[in-house]
Amino acid sequence: MSSVAVKVARPHPPRFRVAQLASAAAPATIALGIGIALWEIAARAWSQPFFPPFSAVVERLVELIAEGKILASLVGSLTNLAIGFTVSAVVGVGVGMLMGAYRKVEMALDIYVYAMLTAPSLVFAPIFFAIFGLSRLSILGVIIVYSIFIIIINTAAAIRGVSPALIEMGRSYCATERQLFFKIILPAALPLIFAGLRLGMGRAVKGTINGEMFITAVGLGAVVISAGRRFDAAAVLAVLLVIIVVALVAIKLVQLVDARLTGWLPSTARQGRAGRASSPG
Amino acid sequence: MIELIGVAKTFPARGANPPVDALKDVNLTVGDGEFLTILGPSGCGKTTLLRMIAGLIPWEDGDILIDGRPVTGPGPERALVFQSFALLPWATILDNVAFGLELRGMPRPKRQARAMELIELVGLSGFESRLPGQLSGGMQQRVGLARALAVDPQILLMDEPFGALDEQTRRLLQEELLQIWEATRKTVVFITHSMEEAVLLGDRVALMGPRPGRVVDLVDVPLPRPRASTVDAIEGSEEFAKITAGLWRRLREMQLFRRHAAEGRHSSSEPAA
Repeated sequence: MSSVAVKVARPHPPRFRVAQLASAAAPATIALGIGIALWEIAARAWSQPFFPPFSAVVERLVELIAEGKILASLVGSLTNLAIGFTVSAVVGVGVGMLMGAYRKVEMALDIYVYAMLTAPSLVFAPIFFAIFGLSRLSILGVIIVYSIFIIIINTAAAIRGVSPALIEMGRSYCATERQLFFKIILPAALPLIFAGLRLGMGRAVKGTINGEMFITAVGLGAVVISAGRRFDAAAVLAVLLVIIVVALVAIKLVQLVDARLTGWLPSTARQGRAGRASSPG
Repeated sequence: MIELIGVAKTFPARGANPPVDALKDVNLTVGDGEFLTILGPSGCGKTTLLRMIAGLIPWEDGDILIDGRPVTGPGPERALVFQSFALLPWATILDNVAFGLELRGMPRPKRQARAMELIELVGLSGFESRLPGQLSGGMQQRVGLARALAVDPQILLMDEPFGALDEQTRRLLQEELLQIWEATRKTVVFITHSMEEAVLLGDRVALMGPRPGRVVDLVDVPLPRPRASTVDAIEGSEEFAKITAGLWRRLREMQLFRRHAAEGRHSSSEPAA
């Protein structure tokens, strides 16, 4: 018996990986370099106290780290972020799955989920403060409101989007409902679920800082607030740099788990996926 | 043996669209070890009929019996091969072929050994750890065929399995299917819209007509078996030409009739949507 197609070569032989990584990172590195240079030049030329140059911000950051302020606050903020995001992910994926699987659940909850997604999440901060006071629960509430709805929406879309042909295939081979879910629907939906988790993580970082700034003044949010009161623009921007790094690392972590679980996706589809699930706000 | 007795299927009204009689009074018997091809223009309900035999969709009237027992859902004695292949894109070829066995709870080493046999049978040895996306369409359908054969069904239900493939790949796969079938002699119901394919593969051709879908004719194909090694000679034979020409006459009538009916309706009442 003859086989009609030739063996497909692996798209990226391992020995080229390092070089490829370097060339892929090059545009980003150059863009960052140019951005920092422009910042530095503009700030020096303009010379305004609320717009310090990059070098001054880095200097201030080093000072803050030396004082031990950043690290202590970072631990507090990361703890809030981790707890809040975990709750959002578990509950969000669960509710999203129910919405995706059952038309009636979807029809019942759709309006709430979209209303909450588009509502400015910080509006809920005073409400949580009124309920939970100065405790950590207030901040966690804000983080969850920030991140859970985009996760719900993506998960529901992911479940709904599973190819009917695959489900029919499973049925034709006498799959039980349980088997259909765990062996077909869940793995098929995973890529889009992770797209939602990535977006949710970004929003959870926002929620953490906003919650800390507006409710209890702890963590990095507290550092920002106190620096702002002293008109210490360099410190505010220094903390902002830390927050951006935290957010990028957190999203990267989600991506790493994603890549492990959905490595079967062709890389082109992987890039196109982020565009399919958009996040207003 | 598959028996269809007075089977009717109606798709319910949707919005402004009236209910559609997809199938009406379909009578058909497929003997054990028979290769029946179902041929018909698109929209005649042949895929619907196959999905009903597979137990995937309900119907309103009549009976579908397999060895005398009514069909109430999918069963282990039937296996489907899909036009769209319907492979799990995240699973290796080995796991895809073993999928039906996995659903039946066969332990991993055993089902993998069985899957390897089938992978060999369809000529995909060496590809078992690939993903479906790395294979050509023809190879993917070999996987689909291997997956169906792995569960050792009595009946293979094939829904235009080669419809999505290019001509050359299709011809190769037809030959291989003949070879496999002539070695295993399972009961096959094979949907196609190609007259040549219907005649080349089938013991009989059930010709279906549209609106409502029904079996309008059953044509015997008295070409000698085994055919796998003599495909070219068969396709060049007078007998083959005669049968396909006869089928084409009937199909053309149906298409022309349909066009006239459509034109008549449009000119007398509302313009075409």
